[in-house]
Amino acid sequence: MASGLYSQYLDKPALRYLRNGVLCLLLGLLGLVVLFPLIYMFCWSFGPNAELASSAYSIFPKVWSLDSYKGFFDFSEYSLRWILNSLIVASGTVVLNVIFAGLAGYAFAKINFKGRKWLFFLILMGMMIPYQVTQVPLYILFVNKFHMTNTYTALILPGCCTAYNIFLAKQFFGGIPTALIENAKVEGAGQLRIFCSIILPLSKTVMAVTAITTFMGNWNTFFWPFLITSDASMYTIQVGLKTFAYANGTLFSPMMAGAVISALPMFILFFALQKYFLEGVTIGAVKG
Amino acid sequence: MKKIVALLLAVVMLLGLCACGSTSEKNEDTKAPEQTAANDASIETEKEAAPDTITVLAPPVMNDYANYVRTAAEEYVKTHPNITVEVIETTWADHQDKMTTMCLAGEAPDISYSETGWLGTYVEMGVGVDLKEYMDADMLADYDEGTLSYTTLDDTLYAVPLYISIQALGGNKAMLEEAGVDVEKVQSQGWSYDEFLEAIKNGTKDGTWGFVFANQGITTADFVNIFGGVAGLTGSFSDELKYAYTSENMLNLLKVMEEITSSGYMPNYTVAAGERLVMLQKGETMVTGKAMPLFETNCRTSTAAVQNGTAEEGFIEMEYVFLPMPTLDGVKANCYGGGGLLVPFRNANTTDEHLKNVVEFYHYLSSGQCAADVCDAVMLPALCESGRKAQENSELVQSEGNAIASAYCTSILVAPPTGITAEQSANAETILNEVIVPKMEALIAGEATAEEVYKIICDEAFALFGEENCETGLIG
Amino acid sequence: MRKEKAPRTLAKKQFRFTAEDGTGYLFILFAMVIFAIFTVYPLVSAVITSFQKYKPVGSEWIALENYKATLKNALFWKAMRNTVIYTVITVPVSQLIAFGIAIMIMPFQKKTQTVFKAIYYIPAVASGIALSVVWQWIYSSSPSGLANQIMTFFGLPTQNWLASSKTAMLSLILMVFLSSQGQNIIIYIAALMGIDNSYFEAAEIDGANFIEKVIYIVWPLCKPTTLFLLVTGVINSFQVFVNAYMMTGGGPDNNTTMIGLLIFNNAFKYGKYGLACAQAVLLTIVIAALTALQFKLNGDDVEY
Repeated sequence: MASGLYSQYLDKPALRYLRNGVLCLLLGLLGLVVLFPLIYMFCWSFGPNAELASSAYSIFPKVWSLDSYKGFFDFSEYSLRWILNSLIVASGTVVLNVIFAGLAGYAFAKINFKGRKWLFFLILMGMMIPYQVTQVPLYILFVNKFHMTNTYTALILPGCCTAYNIFLAKQFFGGIPTALIENAKVEGAGQLRIFCSIILPLSKTVMAVTAITTFMGNWNTFFWPFLITSDASMYTIQVGLKTFAYANGTLFSPMMAGAVISALPMFILFFALQKYFLEGVTIGAVKG
Repeated sequence: MKKIVALLLAVVMLLGLCACGSTSEKNEDTKAPEQTAANDASIETEKEAAPDTITVLAPPVMNDYANYVRTAAEEYVKTHPNITVEVIETTWADHQDKMTTMCLAGEAPDISYSETGWLGTYVEMGVGVDLKEYMDADMLADYDEGTLSYTTLDDTLYAVPLYISIQALGGNKAMLEEAGVDVEKVQSQGWSYDEFLEAIKNGTKDGTWGFVFANQGITTADFVNIFGGVAGLTGSFSDELKYAYTSENMLNLLKVMEEITSSGYMPNYTVAAGERLVMLQKGETMVTGKAMPLFETNCRTSTAAVQNGTAEEGFIEMEYVFLPMPTLDGVKANCYGGGGLLVPFRNANTTDEHLKNVVEFYHYLSSGQCAADVCDAVMLPALCESGRKAQENSELVQSEGNAIASAYCTSILVAPPTGITAEQSANAETILNEVIVPKMEALIAGEATAEEVYKIICDEAFALFGEENCETGLIG
Repeated sequence: MRKEKAPRTLAKKQFRFTAEDGTGYLFILFAMVIFAIFTVYPLVSAVITSFQKYKPVGSEWIALENYKATLKNALFWKAMRNTVIYTVITVPVSQLIAFGIAIMIMPFQKKTQTVFKAIYYIPAVASGIALSVVWQWIYSSSPSGLANQIMTFFGLPTQNWLASSKTAMLSLILMVFLSSQGQNIIIYIAALMGIDNSYFEAAEIDGANFIEKVIYIVWPLCKPTTLFLLVTGVINSFQVFVNAYMMTGGGPDNNTTMIGLLIFNNAFKYGKYGLACAQAVLLTIVIAALTALQFKLNGDDVEY
């Protein structure tokens, strides 16, 4: 614990309380500023179910009602389906990433195979190419070669084993003492046994992190689902939400209601996994 | 030992891959057949009346247009049982992105909505269809000859306009009359820029602006397209096919913009497209732009809501009047027409047979009842004989004055000259978005003067088109 | 990461690569297949396209024309400049803010810490599309816009937030500061947690005060974290696109046109896909060079 950083007033409780109080106040105020757009979003989700122009700038709607939530679900027969689609796509992507990015990350960190460095560098390069120009070839691939428009496969596959997650997993496994693995080897365990009996039990954290970041990233993706779905029943929630904005106005409150509803799974996941999550995000950086 | 492990692992990986594969197959079962059918169809079309699938990319041209097309297609299929129509719904914000991606990928939709300004970009890509080659002469004869120049590039007809949206100004009748404007006269004969300036001066009061023109972001382009009429700029190219936005008219337009933004009769901050109509409905402005005849419906709805007490706070009872664009001295009265159209596309392996099917359905969507319904929704006259006939049965809820103003504006529409090439058109679109709009944003923000902006526009246009291909004097 | 060197020498001594190689390849098989199909293939395709006047039917090979046109294009350089400004301000300042907040959170109990961590992380959870609509309302130029009401409250003149070249970039940057600190803060907190107390005890004996502890102990020990955040931050920042696309469309006067937005417009608005690919390739080269430079300058505390 780095509590030593704040060791000054350990013997002076009054001063300590004062200092912590001031810090708490500062953090609280800053937090309020950071949360403000979300509070705004939340309040206006109870606003009127109508097109609004931005002349209604007040923080709170005049009349609070659940009309917009009803409006969100009435907006399209598929409103609920969009959330379900997002759930399916995000979950599928998460499962594949956890398994395969984990395996690859482990291999890059702990198995000495030829061309390891090269291949890993290649994967890192993949992070650097702007996605704008990869969308057209991908579209050609999925539509022309695979004939997969409007399928979950097309929504899941391109992101099912990302460079970011491989990098993250590699950084994590790199931090596990090699001696642990060497000992097992000496005892005659194969790589698979090592992976299952030593590595897996240690990887709960990295799995949780991969799961949450991937889930979140996927939940918020817009462009690819927008391109590859043409049937309203296959939209993800982000694509669906976009249809609330018209040329001459926006169904503001129903859109906010949709955003609140669509954030719910994320909130739940956040608090369920936050123990692993808040500790875990750091792995890539600290252990490096 | 290690080999066994490796083998085991290979099996695991393979199983994993198979699992993925099988799920994808399952998904394909539910969705993909149409897709494959489409492909098979385009190969098999050589046989007579072979099944064929037509895809339509539909933004909300009118409310729920995608479903409208689906319903219309059901009707169509009764007489063309070999045709299947697949409609892809888009939103205004993303329509063009999706359309471009599909075209670039060689998977262009068979029919898509487009605006006249975009057409050049797609023709340049090589996905345009020479309509005259595939459409029967009697079908073609249905469309008004005069409007076809909107969709002709390189002397080739690539589409037919669905409607030409007359875009000008709209106002609050009571307020205008209070400001001393003879509304009826303006609606039937137009007005001068000085009269307009006087009106918005009188109309500016505490809490009410005389004039609001949506000018945030890309809507700034409306300043050239629509407000340009004030200075006699009616399109990117003059009758001599030279680039028109380097003419003195442009300088005059920029000066007018400078004058009204600093006049105090118009907000000196930007107004988003979605706000202008609400400002009008709330009595926060007397005149607004751009405006279409269609806004009458919105204002009727909001006024009704005020009367029965369901309106949001701030809305007032008002009568909407559609107004022609004012013009500077010496400029001929004119009106901007924003062509909205459906356009047929082709791909590398598109067969003639398929194109014939597409064009036939295309004609069905662009004329007759289908055209009439869309035109009714946007309160515009149809541009084809059959469409106008169908419109006779429809009841337009439009005030007499607005009908007169619409007719007047339609009569002074300036069609683009014939002979513009696709490359010219695409270049004009690029320079509009990359130079003119950004510089106008600077002008509106008070960060550049009219002369500075004019000079930059000229420099860039000369470099792009060649000075000899640009107008320099006064045109029109 | 240095620990890895041990097994490598071991493998060399044995001169038996096959089994280990085999297992390695097996482990990365799925990742590499996916990578080859969904990253390498589009990448190669983009590189090839960058030498073409691309048309869906009958592309023309034009060698370096797209690159020449790009390098001559004033807007490309302006977009590059904007992107550099955006990166230079957002990445380091974001990190300083995150570092500061992380330090401020340290003295509290676990529960209080969790509450603050959650508060700062939650904005990342909300739908980006809905949030950008909210921010547009906040930044409305009219006097009744929220940001302007705040200005008026403090007796300051109202601003034309997203529509003035003085404030547009600043508005975008402010939005980034306020909505994407969570991940950085949490990473820093964990790094701080990892610092052994003995360092501080030793420093206290030398009579170091709070500020000195931060400067001489905390900051140097957080260097690997800082480098990691810097590298990923720069990569992301150079590709940034959504903010400008949703909020300003690149305006006014192209002052918020980022390189990512320019590529997007060229590809999807003007159909100049070959040109867009050339610009993307140039951008990738710049990012790769910058990444390599950052590692060089910082030594290799973090591998890659």
